[in-house]
Amino acid sequence: MFPNVSNTGSIKTTSYKVVLPFYLYAALSFLVATIMLFISNDAFLSHYFHPHILAITHAMALGWGTMVILGAGHQLVPVLIEGKLYSEKLAYSAFILAAVGIPLLVYGFYTFNMNAPAKWGGRLIVFAVISFLVNIAMSIKHSKGENVHSVFIFTSTIWLLITTLFGLVLVYNFTYDLMPNDSLHYLPLHAHAGMIGWFLLLVIGVGSRLIPLFLISKYTNPKLLWIILLLINGALLLYFTIFYFFQHDGATFIPTSLVLIAVALFIYYCYMAYAKRLRRQVDEQVKISLLSVFMLLLPVILLFTIITLLMNTADEQVNLILTYGFVIFFGWITAIILGMTFKTLPFIAWNKAYRNRSAMSKTPSPKDLFDNNIFKLMGIAYLFGFTSLTIGILFSLQFLLQIGSILLIITAIFYNWNVIKVINHKAIIK
Amino acid sequence: MKIYTNDERKCNIAQAVLKNVIDPEVGLNIVDLGLVYEINFIEDEKVVACLMTLTTEFCPMGESIVEDTTQTLQAAFADYKIEVELTFDPAWSFELVSEEGRLFLGR
Repeated sequence: MFPNVSNTGSIKTTSYKVVLPFYLYAALSFLVATIMLFISNDAFLSHYFHPHILAITHAMALGWGTMVILGAGHQLVPVLIEGKLYSEKLAYSAFILAAVGIPLLVYGFYTFNMNAPAKWGGRLIVFAVISFLVNIAMSIKHSKGENVHSVFIFTSTIWLLITTLFGLVLVYNFTYDLMPNDSLHYLPLHAHAGMIGWFLLLVIGVGSRLIPLFLISKYTNPKLLWIILLLINGALLLYFTIFYFFQHDGATFIPTSLVLIAVALFIYYCYMAYAKRLRRQVDEQVKISLLSVFMLLLPVILLFTIITLLMNTADEQVNLILTYGFVIFFGWITAIILGMTFKTLPFIAWNKAYRNRSAMSKTPSPKDLFDNNIFKLMGIAYLFGFTSLTIGILFSLQFLLQIGSILLIITAIFYNWNVIKVINHKAIIK
Repeated sequence: MKIYTNDERKCNIAQAVLKNVIDPEVGLNIVDLGLVYEINFIEDEKVVACLMTLTTEFCPMGESIVEDTTQTLQAAFADYKIEVELTFDPAWSFELVSEEGRLFLGR
């Protein structure tokens, strides 16, 4: 019947023991970051280089975004690179180094102590990233073959290393004159290497594999993904060149346009995967993840506005820049994590609890491992909290900042509740 | 989808028990999803050879589904050695889903 059958074997999943600490750490970091946001919301009425804003941004970017992505990254390596994770020991070392380094760095920023805490925090984070990079590189080396998704994950990790190394140099620049200008001058380079090079590349690389998988869609388009990869890397290299050699705000329209085209192409990719899906009903978690893809447009539009205003006025556009950073970390990145956590984490916990049982016994499905009502309430609190804070930052309205940050604390509590519920799930066999 | 076999009677039993193996992501059993291609019974070696696929080669639940299939067949054919083999040639497609499966997926 099938004359050309070939046994390809089953992909080997990464142990849950490696992955779960990352998720738990990220969940707690999100809660801590929202509490810091509530305590320090008046900082959002001042400059974006305020110590408390730097502390909140790094708690969000590293403790929340990066830790959950590192966890999911280790788990999804077999799915992304079509091979096994090279070393679980390297994964543990990445976790321990980052878990110690992040609070030190955040504390350093919060108290504006750029000596031992910030420096040690930065060093440990760089070592954590090196551990992850070596693990990814060796996993790819031992995998079946290169594919566009593995290139996305590898390139984005290189950008993460550039971001953290450059960040460490900026920390040193506070106490030693390493660079010709102060650290504030170089902040856009550090921020965009992280936001676009690390987060955007990785989210597109992982999302382009997972979204068709969760929609049960047969749509693939590696050529389009290669174009997106080139556009984003080209945009970043161009931006760095303009920053160093031209220092002209108008010229940054070119890399920004390249990123906008890449985002538009990724939205098209997601739309095609959605249109060609086999499953009619799309669950809430995938809906939030798809929504976050559209939320990507918000910071890009804001960036165009900022560049235009910087060219035409003498104003520094502090509120717009603050809003720009906020919609990236609390908007796009948070939305995608809120959705994707409850698509990936229940599978890890389900595999842990039920993989060795016979199908003759009835077991819950992965989506039954978390409380769907809490998930919906989390979504509502998040949507109102995010909107309230965005308007509050944009127009310097402190009462909206207070309401918004309370709603985000509630979002984080609901998120933590469900994450702990999933992680602690014990097998129920009827 | 018709499952290829060398023993219709035993294959019917195997099919019936495999309807308990659910793809956790889709929520549908592997028989109606069309993941099972062949079930052969090698009597002189006492082996049940099951050839199956996954909806995608990169399915994160693949390992679990294969283990589930092996244990379920083992429970039904205790005297046999179970050999489950994965193939992605031909790849799974929607045409392989049964009528019941299509109704379940809302198609």
